[in-house]
Amino acid sequence: MDIEDVFSSRLRMKILKILVHVSELNVSEIARRLNVNYVTTNKHLKVLEDEGILLHKMFGRIRLYRLNEHSLKAKALQNLIDTWEHANKQ
Amino acid sequence: MSQYRSVFKDETKLDINYVPYNLPHRETELRLLMEFFSFILQSPGKMAQRVMINGDVGTGKTALSQRFGANVTREASKRGISLRYIHVNCREYRGSLFLILQHAVSTFHPNFPKRGYSAEELLLTLMQILDEENAYIILTLDEFESLVDREGSEAVYKLTRLQELRQNKPQRLSLICILRNLKAIEQLDTSTRSTLQSNIISLGKYSKQQLADILTDRVSLAFKPLAVLEGVVNLIAELAFSESGNARFGIELLWRAGKYANAQDSDTVTPECARKAVSSIIPILRKSDLAFLSLHEKLLLLSIARIFKESQKACVSLAEAEQAYAVVCEEFNTSPNTHTQLWKYLRNLSTLGIIKAEVATGISRGRSTAIYLLGIPAQELEKELMDLLDKKQM
Repeated sequence: MDIEDVFSSRLRMKILKILVHVSELNVSEIARRLNVNYVTTNKHLKVLEDEGILLHKMFGRIRLYRLNEHSLKAKALQNLIDTWEHANKQ
Repeated sequence: MSQYRSVFKDETKLDINYVPYNLPHRETELRLLMEFFSFILQSPGKMAQRVMINGDVGTGKTALSQRFGANVTREASKRGISLRYIHVNCREYRGSLFLILQHAVSTFHPNFPKRGYSAEELLLTLMQILDEENAYIILTLDEFESLVDREGSEAVYKLTRLQELRQNKPQRLSLICILRNLKAIEQLDTSTRSTLQSNIISLGKYSKQQLADILTDRVSLAFKPLAVLEGVVNLIAELAFSESGNARFGIELLWRAGKYANAQDSDTVTPECARKAVSSIIPILRKSDLAFLSLHEKLLLLSIARIFKESQKACVSLAEAEQAYAVVCEEFNTSPNTHTQLWKYLRNLSTLGIIKAEVATGISRGRSTAIYLLGIPAQELEKELMDLLDKKQM
């Protein structure tokens, strides 16, 4: 997937922002914070996971998503979001 | 503006949540606890442990367990063992196994969802996390009665028999159950009880001297040098001892006494500050108790109150009280009663809980009676008695 495809989705960018802030979260809670349904959230999470940006871990029925700490793309996105928000505060 | 003065060096050392590095008079129990869990440092995963700690309020159960937790995790960390000590107050979690386990899981995954699964699933999740992180936990269930009351045998059984579902896997969860009275576990079924009762550490009530040692330790940590006058520690130890040897109560009194000293802009904590502190915590003497005293009991008590008010002493001898009583009798135009009679009055006042009288050595030569004024400030007591005596004279 090209970078513009990741960036073109408002929901995907919001997911990344959430996970930069809280480090890991389950699907239902991400959906609640995005104010969209579970299926839509799941679809976007899968896209980001397929790109290697996110990872998930299963605990019984609970799926927790987090940024893939080994992914350069994830690190770059984290830097971008941090820098962006820091600059906005100034 | 005057500069703010304080008798405290660091009042957080008197906070209920502060865990001191040294636990006076609990060293043996701390070593025993370390001994029970030594396997966790030597061969982690080979076994799990269950220990019960019981004792009355303020006997150091929580402090003992938390100090042990800090010591054992530090030692484990030195050896490269991932060990966490998790202290949960069951009452705070309404005795719910689900909420207790959720707290334990949240120490590893702070955003773990709060709903959507059962306590059993949560227990399996906890074990999965421990397996994945090759970690071990000592879960301390403080106020264990609360869990037993709400969940009964089932919850305790799940925690203690967990390994039966995990054959050939490392044993990662050990338990410390803290409770006041072992009777609480009698309501558990026999098999559950048998999994708990192997290691019991019973903490006895602190003696007056032990309480004084604990308070002296805290004074050196929390107060500026020489800020606490001689006798204050013994007076507070006496009060704490009368509250079933409750060290926590004594430490709280010490803190309050310091606050009263600060409020008076004083450099020192006096016995009167301690008496004010106690009257603010426990219900002070009812006026009706004073009203029913005989004239001479009132006069004796008034003389005792005056000595305490003027001298800042923590205790006075019967001889001193007798001299002051003679002066008071003169003031009220009445002849003083005999020594034996005064001794009887003292016994009555002591039974009523207004004062404490005990035979002591060291106040003067030989044996003498030491009198302590307990739960009421001397100034307040003098005022109450003067009101009563004036009414009587009118």
